[in-house]
Amino acid sequence: MVQNNTIPKQKRRPNIFPLSPKPSKNRGSSLSLSSRSPTMAAAKEILTRRPVAATIRLTVPAGGARPAPPVGPALGQYRLNLMAFCKDFNARTQKYKPDTPMAVTITAFKDNSFEFTVKSPTVSWYIKKAAGVDKGSTRPGHLTVTTLSVRHVYEIAKVKQTDPFCQYMPLESICKSIIGTANSMGIKIVHDLE
Amino acid sequence: MSAWNFIKHFPCKNLSRHIFKDRVKPLCFFTSYTPQSSFSISASLSTSYSSSSSSCFTDESFAAPYLSVRIHCPKHVLDSFSEALLCFGASSVAVDEDIEEEDEDAASGSSLASKEICIESIFPVHEEVKMCISQAANSIGLKEIPKFKVEMGDEQDWITKNQDLFQPVEIAERLWIVPEWTSPPVPEAVNIILNPGFAFGTGEHPTTKLCLLLLQSLIKGGEAFLDYGTGSGILAIAALKFGAASSAGIDIDPLAIKSASHNAALNNIPLEKLELHLAPSENSSSGREIPLQKEQFDVIIANILLNPVIELADHILSFAKPGATIGISGILSEQLPNVIAHYSPFVEDISVATIGDWVCLSGTKKGDFIDN
Repeated sequence: MVQNNTIPKQKRRPNIFPLSPKPSKNRGSSLSLSSRSPTMAAAKEILTRRPVAATIRLTVPAGGARPAPPVGPALGQYRLNLMAFCKDFNARTQKYKPDTPMAVTITAFKDNSFEFTVKSPTVSWYIKKAAGVDKGSTRPGHLTVTTLSVRHVYEIAKVKQTDPFCQYMPLESICKSIIGTANSMGIKIVHDLE
Repeated sequence: MSAWNFIKHFPCKNLSRHIFKDRVKPLCFFTSYTPQSSFSISASLSTSYSSSSSSCFTDESFAAPYLSVRIHCPKHVLDSFSEALLCFGASSVAVDEDIEEEDEDAASGSSLASKEICIESIFPVHEEVKMCISQAANSIGLKEIPKFKVEMGDEQDWITKNQDLFQPVEIAERLWIVPEWTSPPVPEAVNIILNPGFAFGTGEHPTTKLCLLLLQSLIKGGEAFLDYGTGSGILAIAALKFGAASSAGIDIDPLAIKSASHNAALNNIPLEKLELHLAPSENSSSGREIPLQKEQFDVIIANILLNPVIELADHILSFAKPGATIGISGILSEQLPNVIAHYSPFVEDISVATIGDWVCLSGTKKGDFIDN
């Protein structure tokens, strides 16, 4: 379960650290938990089909998960290990700018274990940030709050494309979906902002 | 008991908390160390400690009220509705898979069972729930606002559920971590009694295990140990149990310091052996330095996260004697090269231990920095 590797002083290349074999022992403890990258999660799901208790969606600031509300009650209801989730989530979101609101989807299994996937902030968040507004329009379609240029849309689409779920979507479709969301928030997209 | 029942329904947060805590937390440790001034906890903390002596390890933010809302949502728009709710103000949205199956099995005759699904949503207490739900429904094109019910969230509910999860953990042969409210399964083993509260470190996480195993191999007796990012204090206490001469723990979270000092008492650790210090966090304006001597420690372990470990590399290393062993964890294996790059100028003989995706890096601080 635990491997020790001594690295010779000169070479420090990543491929010297082999990961230990899939730790089946990890799950023998009374509280099994697992959190893996999306692709491995999908494969594991097919193999084991653990019974799912619930699916939880949350917004958590990158690197800032704490066992207080909203994480606490949302996960505590399903008896998930809060500290483990916080540590795992914070470690995996270290590469994002601190406090960026990340969209997390947690699959809670009946044996109190869980897996989660992390997505970059919602499109509406990016739009609001780009436009500098707090909330969308109260009457979208009738009342336009502000405008954004197609350049903004393009930048947002590029960030969204790095999401695990959008990787194979053509940039154009992502852009169209962003424009749709912007319209539903009462934000118009124009070609150029003067 | 009847008073307790009365208080439970009384919407007075602080009162119920005091009463609840008196039943769970042993206050005896507080009275056994009578001279409070000899508590080696940094000064600002001891005042806050005495004022909230009967409260447990929850502060205001943990016991914050929240609104728990049940919404009946048509199945076919479940995903988009959940996303919309999160956009318009919900803190979290949870869908029970259980309820769906139960409805189908029960065949209660309600046609809603097959078309609607129940969403549990949590909202901040000042949010306008009705407005959010109607905006969310509008944004995805639902004709009518879904039915919903709002309740005040019961924070004790999830706090106690969380506590119940902690079970005795066997780290290695004859090394157990045992919750305060359980008796040790193996009385002859080295048992570390813990009540982590909301600080990190119960022994269950792979990083804690890695650090404990590293510590066990390093401590031969008489070392000075520093736990940077001490959390519940588990590593600092373990070091003392393995035979270290003294332990020190640093954390930026006051709750962690509270938890660590409580745990020190649970394990009958005298004050002189375990010092705890609250490190100034980034946004604190006081330029207070940690009152620890530089180059004082034989073993240092920092189990935090990638960014703090890298930013604080110099600071952490400054407390180590030359030739001291440094352990770094809380790192994912993909983050390892980054950490090694930052530490290798100062640390030699680096070795890595792995459990799953988590790694623990250890090495010895180089003797001198003068170019030979």
